[in-house]
Amino acid sequence: MEGADEMGLANDTYTLFLRDLLIFKKNLKVNIVRSMIFPILFIVLLGAFGSTPKNVPVALVNYDNGLASLQFINQLQSGGSIKVVSSTTQQAAAAMLAQGSVAAVIVIPTGFSSDQLPKPDIYVYLDNSQPQSASLVNEVVNKVAAQMGTQIAAGSASLSDSVPDSVSTPIPVVTNYAYGAASNYESFVVGGIVIMVAAFGSVFSSGFTVLSDRELGNLKAFLTTPINKFAIPLSKIGYGTMQSLFSAYIGLAIGLALGATLAAGFAGLLELIWIIFLVGLSFSSLAIALAMRAKQLQTYALIGQSIVMPTAFLGGAFVPVSLLPPLLQSVAVVDPLAYAVNAVRDIMIKGSLPLGGLVLDSAVLLAFAGLMLALAFTFFRNTSEQLS
Amino acid sequence: MLSTSEYAIETENLVKKFGNLTAVNGVSLKIKKGEIFGLLGPNGAGKSTIINMLLGLIAPTSGRISVNGINMLKEPEKAKGQIGIVTQETVVEPELTAEDNLKIFGRLYQIPADELQKDIDFALKLSDLEGFRKAYAGTFSGGMKRRLETAKALMHAPQILLLDEPTTGLDVQNRVKIWELLRKINKEQKVTILMTTQYLEEADQLCSRIAIIDHGKLIALGTPAELRQKIGMSNIIEVTVDADVLQKVVQIFKKAGLEPQTLSSKVLAPGGAKPVEKVEQILRLLSAGKIDVHSVSVHEPTIDDVFLKLTGSAVRDETGDFKGRRAAMLGRGR
Repeated sequence: MEGADEMGLANDTYTLFLRDLLIFKKNLKVNIVRSMIFPILFIVLLGAFGSTPKNVPVALVNYDNGLASLQFINQLQSGGSIKVVSSTTQQAAAAMLAQGSVAAVIVIPTGFSSDQLPKPDIYVYLDNSQPQSASLVNEVVNKVAAQMGTQIAAGSASLSDSVPDSVSTPIPVVTNYAYGAASNYESFVVGGIVIMVAAFGSVFSSGFTVLSDRELGNLKAFLTTPINKFAIPLSKIGYGTMQSLFSAYIGLAIGLALGATLAAGFAGLLELIWIIFLVGLSFSSLAIALAMRAKQLQTYALIGQSIVMPTAFLGGAFVPVSLLPPLLQSVAVVDPLAYAVNAVRDIMIKGSLPLGGLVLDSAVLLAFAGLMLALAFTFFRNTSEQLS
Repeated sequence: MLSTSEYAIETENLVKKFGNLTAVNGVSLKIKKGEIFGLLGPNGAGKSTIINMLLGLIAPTSGRISVNGINMLKEPEKAKGQIGIVTQETVVEPELTAEDNLKIFGRLYQIPADELQKDIDFALKLSDLEGFRKAYAGTFSGGMKRRLETAKALMHAPQILLLDEPTTGLDVQNRVKIWELLRKINKEQKVTILMTTQYLEEADQLCSRIAIIDHGKLIALGTPAELRQKIGMSNIIEVTVDADVLQKVVQIFKKAGLEPQTLSSKVLAPGGAKPVEKVEQILRLLSAGKIDVHSVSVHEPTIDDVFLKLTGSAVRDETGDFKGRRAAMLGRGR
């Protein structure tokens, strides 16, 4: 008997999903255009006005510890663009870089403070999944190195007249990128946009159709048929999740056309499905819960926007979490979209999904999805009597 | 499943409370198979609440409902399968074709896949929409949408059809068409019909039995003839005057041998067998008393008159805020 009930639920859910799918098909062109506007607008606008970051966190590995190295470090930080958050071993610094808690690792070699010329190479390792921060660090390090090189050259000239035409000899800097793909701001911001349109896609499909179906009397009509009533929220969540995948992939296609990279290649597209599916599932469920409470479309739209926008911003969709003020950074720890954005950037820029990262991101998103599903079903059960 | 119950719908002491408000208060109905049964009452009387409970949309606070002998509270899905519903609002999906509209509801009504196409064809034929199979319902006229919806309600061959104010807002011509359709379904397909209405005339035309509901209670039940007898259903004489001369007019009605009742600035009474003679008499007395009259009319009894007679109070909003508020609380103020 229970088995028959489950078959009934699956069957009824499919019927209601089919209905939304037929309506979706009818409005396909409008839907495609609508899904394109947002990514184009954001990539073009944010690409043009990508802000210059401040206090970019870097880790320092100092094998020298001489006077010149300390002077170098002071000069690096003097502009306010770079902040040395940790002075540590090369191994620990590399781990911090991989986690994304610092945007760069600067290695000062032994013998840096000695008078011997030429100076040994400074090594810079950049997290190019944070392109604005990475290029800024690169720029500052090269500038300071060039300045110091000139000063040293001038100093040695004053000590000895044997070098009358002092030649500026900048300290050599060797730059290494942490990840394979040639990173740019487009790749960075597309990762954020893909997640944001996924969240918006579900909020503005599943919840909207629930409210309009309710307004038109369709929900009442469904409830008078001999179906398992939980097929209603289930089908709407399925529909919202589908819309999330649809919008996110259109956003991704536009991003790629405008110059973003997909470092993980074709396999990355499949990995993205999993992450976007979880975002769609969570936000469609959240949308159903909201639609059960907010009875007017306007109220619902307002609440939906004021949830998705801040969650996406806080999650690092447009500015890396590491550049947010400390207070917001600690809030971002509980922002599920931060994990989704992180996972998408791993796929698009880093090219590989580190297993630990995948497990953590998926676990957080799965837990969030579970919570939202429970919320949606509880609210539906409690309010379904008022739907008529 | 063959049912042994002789009743299509049976309710026992049905009660529904919304917070402090008792919308339905101990209603027991026995609707026989093959009947056309009318549920009458003003807005907010509890009609729609009763219908929603019969449809399994809301659960009663207490009481029992059985549909063809199936307990609605224990086996809601099975019970719902017995019923077809036509609501006051026309519910068809404008973004779907006529065929897809029927297909979705056919599936929801659990029509087996191998019978679905045949039933869709039948429903399209019934609603005279065969030529519009692939047309989107959004392009249909109001009448076509209404036909599509009725076909949708009958597609799964329900044994019981529930209609919630099916003719409210329709013109006379369309109203008569719906009446004909209902009689036909009832006679040819042996479908039991339960309908709500605000129009006594409609119930009188169609129904084999009528129940009158007010304040959530059953206040009268019987065939139209029985009810007519009970309330002395002759034509009603109605005189509207300024409130300060109301009592004088009441005296005039009494002098003419009538039993008047007052309602704000109106005096009303059933006119008996010869209402026109009574009107002449009243007009003479009014003019002799130099009373300023706003209007005088003779009309067939309406639900208002029945209510006035049965409950001593008015049906609609004249009694003040209470009923309007109640309707609003129940979410169906119109």
